[in-house]
Amino acid sequence: MLLEQVEYVRPTSLEEALAVLTEVDGAAPLAGGQSLVNVLKNRVASVDLLVDISRLSELRSITRSPDGGLDVGACVTYDELDRSPEVREVHFTLGDVAAHIEDQQIRNKGTIGGNCCLSDPTNNLPPILAALDAVMSLRSASASRRVPAAEFFKGYFATALEPGELLVSVTVPPMPARSGAGYASLHVAADAKAMARAAAWVQLDAGEQTIAATRVVLARMASVPVRDAGVEARLAGAEAGEAAVRDACAVAAEGLRPIDDVHGSSDYRREMAKVMARRAVMQAIDQARGGGDGAERTRRGGRG
Amino acid sequence: MTITSSPATDRATRAWSGRSIPRKEDARLVKGQGSFVDDGGLQGQGYAWFVRSPHAHARILSIDCAPALAMEGVYALLTGEEARRQCETPFFAIAPPPGSLMGEWPLAVGKVRYQGDAVAVVLADSRETARDAAERVVVEYEPLPAVVDTVAAADPATPLLYEEAGTNVVWQGVFDYGDVDWALENADHVVKIERLHFHRFTSAPLECNGAVVDYDLGTGVVNVMSNYQMPMFAAMVIGPTIGVPINKFNFVSKDIGGAFGIKIGFFAQIAALALLSKKAGRAVKWTEYRTEHMLTAGHGNERTFLDIEVPVMSDGTILGVKVRAFDDAGGYLHYEPLGAVIWSQVVPGCYKLKHVRVDYTEVVTNKCPTVPNRGYSRMQHLWMIERIIDVVAKELRLDPVEVRKTNYVQPEDYPYRTPNDCVYDSGDLPRSLDIALELAHAEKWRARQRELGTGSGRRIGIGIGSTLDSGTNNFGQSRIINPALPFSGNGEAAIVKLDLFGEVNVNIGTTPQGQGHETTAAQVTADILGVSPDMVTVSTGFNQANNSYVGFSGTYASQFAVSGLGAVMGAAEKLRRQIVKLAMYALQAPEEDIEVSDGFARVRGDESRAIPFIGLANMVYANNAGLPAELLSEVDLNARHVYVPPFQVPDPVTKTGNLTLTYASQVHVCVVEVDEDTGEVSLLEYAAVDDCGKRINPMIVEGQVHGATGLGIAAALYESLDYDESGQLQQPSFYEYHAATALDIPHLDCGSIESPSPFTPNGAKGMGEGGGAPLHAVCSAIQDAVGAGGPVVADSHNHWARVYELLHRDPAASRGVEVSSRKGSPSVATN
Amino acid sequence: MTERGTSHAISVTVNGERVSRVVSARQLLVHFLRDTLGLTGTHIGCDTGNCGACTVVVDGKLVKSCMLLAPQADGGTVETVESLAADGQLSDLQRAFNEHHALQCGYCTPGMLMSATYLLRQNPDPSADDVRRAIRGNVCRCTGYVNIVEAIRSAGSAGKATLATGSAEEV
Repeated sequence: MLLEQVEYVRPTSLEEALAVLTEVDGAAPLAGGQSLVNVLKNRVASVDLLVDISRLSELRSITRSPDGGLDVGACVTYDELDRSPEVREVHFTLGDVAAHIEDQQIRNKGTIGGNCCLSDPTNNLPPILAALDAVMSLRSASASRRVPAAEFFKGYFATALEPGELLVSVTVPPMPARSGAGYASLHVAADAKAMARAAAWVQLDAGEQTIAATRVVLARMASVPVRDAGVEARLAGAEAGEAAVRDACAVAAEGLRPIDDVHGSSDYRREMAKVMARRAVMQAIDQARGGGDGAERTRRGGRG
Repeated sequence: MTITSSPATDRATRAWSGRSIPRKEDARLVKGQGSFVDDGGLQGQGYAWFVRSPHAHARILSIDCAPALAMEGVYALLTGEEARRQCETPFFAIAPPPGSLMGEWPLAVGKVRYQGDAVAVVLADSRETARDAAERVVVEYEPLPAVVDTVAAADPATPLLYEEAGTNVVWQGVFDYGDVDWALENADHVVKIERLHFHRFTSAPLECNGAVVDYDLGTGVVNVMSNYQMPMFAAMVIGPTIGVPINKFNFVSKDIGGAFGIKIGFFAQIAALALLSKKAGRAVKWTEYRTEHMLTAGHGNERTFLDIEVPVMSDGTILGVKVRAFDDAGGYLHYEPLGAVIWSQVVPGCYKLKHVRVDYTEVVTNKCPTVPNRGYSRMQHLWMIERIIDVVAKELRLDPVEVRKTNYVQPEDYPYRTPNDCVYDSGDLPRSLDIALELAHAEKWRARQRELGTGSGRRIGIGIGSTLDSGTNNFGQSRIINPALPFSGNGEAAIVKLDLFGEVNVNIGTTPQGQGHETTAAQVTADILGVSPDMVTVSTGFNQANNSYVGFSGTYASQFAVSGLGAVMGAAEKLRRQIVKLAMYALQAPEEDIEVSDGFARVRGDESRAIPFIGLANMVYANNAGLPAELLSEVDLNARHVYVPPFQVPDPVTKTGNLTLTYASQVHVCVVEVDEDTGEVSLLEYAAVDDCGKRINPMIVEGQVHGATGLGIAAALYESLDYDESGQLQQPSFYEYHAATALDIPHLDCGSIESPSPFTPNGAKGMGEGGGAPLHAVCSAIQDAVGAGGPVVADSHNHWARVYELLHRDPAASRGVEVSSRKGSPSVATN
Repeated sequence: MTERGTSHAISVTVNGERVSRVVSARQLLVHFLRDTLGLTGTHIGCDTGNCGACTVVVDGKLVKSCMLLAPQADGGTVETVESLAADGQLSDLQRAFNEHHALQCGYCTPGMLMSATYLLRQNPDPSADDVRRAIRGNVCRCTGYVNIVEAIRSAGSAGKATLATGSAEEV
């Protein structure tokens, strides 16, 4: 509960924040704090200076990009994602994923940027962002660059961020025609940590009978979300139905070695990856066909 | 059954008792004006932080305190060795040898025996500085192999926690009733279950432990303001160790944020804090946070049952059980090995088992010490019995409802003497079961289960849990563990006083943690004194200075309704008699004409002759010149009563005797849906039927049923404490230990029947612990979903991976059960 | 930019009253409320932001005060359980908790009440499921949540209507 001595500063502009993050060794950005404060309370990592970026207006907006996609500021909270009409219209599933992160208090403070930058393999947003082919915008005092979500997550608590660099926004491209997203998690309890998780994006061909393109991302199978090339290859051109999807997903997580812990063995988790992949892909197909906006799942309030 | 009626009972059932009046304590609690231990403190206090071992088992080679002591703001530091030098003897041991050789001191000495074992304690000027300083204490350890497996711990080849004891076995004994060998030879079938395992978990009260301890160097009084739930037990255990007599302790508690038995465990911390306060010459405040709580505050008993043999007749009559039980006490004996006998309050469970042999072994391991945890020690055994009932039904293709009804103690059997001479007081289990089945719509779900068949990916399971909540311990049962112990019986004290302005005040020796004692004590007092409960003030919590306590005062073991209220009622009756006597003098009327109502003593039928309580009080306290000496010698308006339940000393040789006074029962029925693809379990329906005799406040009783059910469901599906092979706890905080939320616990449908206890002053039975019924019911439902021919649900905790394994186990692998049938018995379909 | 340092002068409006204090940067908001301001109604039940006993409303948003540093509240408003009984009169919600026996030990109650207050501000007529989702972040170890759900529903507008006809059973 009790933190080590630490310094705190609250810049009033993004420029100030970037400058201080560059200048001070041991400085760390503090956004929603829903993970970082825990880390500090448990004294498992040491931070010299907390740079409070949570109020910076530059990081707090959700806007429609010219191509119809979304630009989401790094300090947008889960609750704002959940309740944003723009997010719900363009990427219903992203809003739905946010709506099932833990609880109301955490959703009111936790941010999309924090969820990504911590790169905790249990975090909910990285796999769906990877499946939606999101792009992360990074800035430092002197430069800016864009990194695809799939390349952003590097390992346990490790990302592509360089010292002094800050994630400022996440760009989610628009949902193409005849495409949809799906997301399935096996939680240890309702809206709690997941043991296995899959996010999928599927585009159907013109006749909506076969699968034209997919991205299937597994989480909790490795230190970072991973695209499952084996499943994607089998889905390509396959019939968009339960049997073919089940068949394709039977190879999910092949070659991966998820962790063993008190919630289940590595083998169990690999089996669950198949189930979650199938469920996510089926949801995505459903959504691609114009149904499955996830509303029912939200109403059930259960295990996504 | 007849209930002996007394004037007290008549009055107690008249107006306020038996009604669901809203609680008196709520007003302050909903406003945030409760008074919990961390809310207060003392002038000049320091803040304490314990230095704890990262190792499960290690020798302490050295402790360097200098870097910590050099920090600004650090007041004092106490190491285990230094504390040991100030102590006269280890903490009082319940066990005989070899358990008594497993001594414990306020802080670890020489060795640490579990992850989180305290090696020193720091006092500083702020919470933060105390923790900073504790991190600068340098402890050099030599790690030793960790003992984590309960059964292996008993093996002589396993490393020892206590070299001085020469064994890890704390206590071993055979409880042998009837003739189980005969039963096994003569039964039509013998069902053999390889292994059942009751897991380790904690009720995890939301408020962690805490204490403000001030060793007053002037008077020698040790003031302990804490949320400890059995104060005089702590005083008896630690007093001789730190050299403080009972009358130099002053234990005080106010509001307590849940306890569930867990808050019996931290007497060692109180002892260490007392010595620290003495050394520093100032008050010390210690606030435990959740991680420290999960690692060190105490866990519920983990028990492994091996080689279970159950003799059964073809009609489903179960003759008994033979089993070896291994119980895991963790690294120190906090209240253990009392658990080794407490379970025997419920030897046959809810059933008429006649032949029972339990070979019971309790061991120490390098894990957190176990402490009483809601349902303490009985629920482990009751869970095993319920598992047996379901497995027998499944293997012999019998209806689990019918097997229960066949074997239940029947309504006409009460008072029912168990094979070990406990007496079940009253009940109606078959009716409870019928009500529960109806509340859970069991028939509808049975049809739905058949309809669903196989291949849908979803399975329905219907489960039953029958259980007992035994209340009001006979502490004489401790002699079955150790015949040399000077304990037997039980009791509780209360004082009911008419105060200076005629106020009615009640002090009790209990430490309520949400059970609503202020309300129910006011209800029974109101009935006896003819006032409304609003006019009765019940002091919050325990205060040793009130002198309303006996040796086993506190709130634990489901006993308040009997022993706590028994004491209050007795004291209120005494006060009433004094009021009448005083009124006879004041109103010049004979006893039979005096009535006490609405805060007055009156002459019946004459409105002009009445005196208010304030007038009576004034006569005694402030205006007593001229009152007859005889009257003054009998009337002080300050009535103390000790309720003592009617117990005999049990026989330690035969391990028999009446070990507890009352037996509330609960029957639960639940319906689960199991996802075949994942093993996930969802609760579709949940019903609980409670029978705790006369209910003083039905709303509070139902609340206790809800709470015990919630925690039981949580333990069955979400909450488990597991150690890895090096003795590291895998769920050391609420981040890993998933405390069940409102999305995890379903709506509960409750029913009740009232079978009054013939043995208690008010017909009530203690209740609240709940007997672990949800663990029984949920496991039973999962077993039902697994289906005939499937493996035994052998663990009390069933997370999704475990359920998945049950559903998908290789048919060639062991199912964990075998049935052998006598020649000529009706055959059982084999799988 | 605020001054960088290990201590900060902050001003916060707590339950309608503006308070100014110098706080350590490492002090959690919950310790600021409890230890510095003496508002001990807000409780601590865990050390990982999981239990919700410390739930308060900051700048109109429901948060856990153990997951915020005191300086983060600078310039803002904080509402705690002590704000609910205006002039000492219990609110409808507080009264509903009493009438429905929605508390036992009372330790989770302040946080639970804040979550329920926040819910009812946004959704005056919550379903049982809405209530369960809204209090997902508040752990209660005593009640199994049954009576809490009923109490919160009864304090909602539909609950008040059904109370008149007799039942607020969860459906």
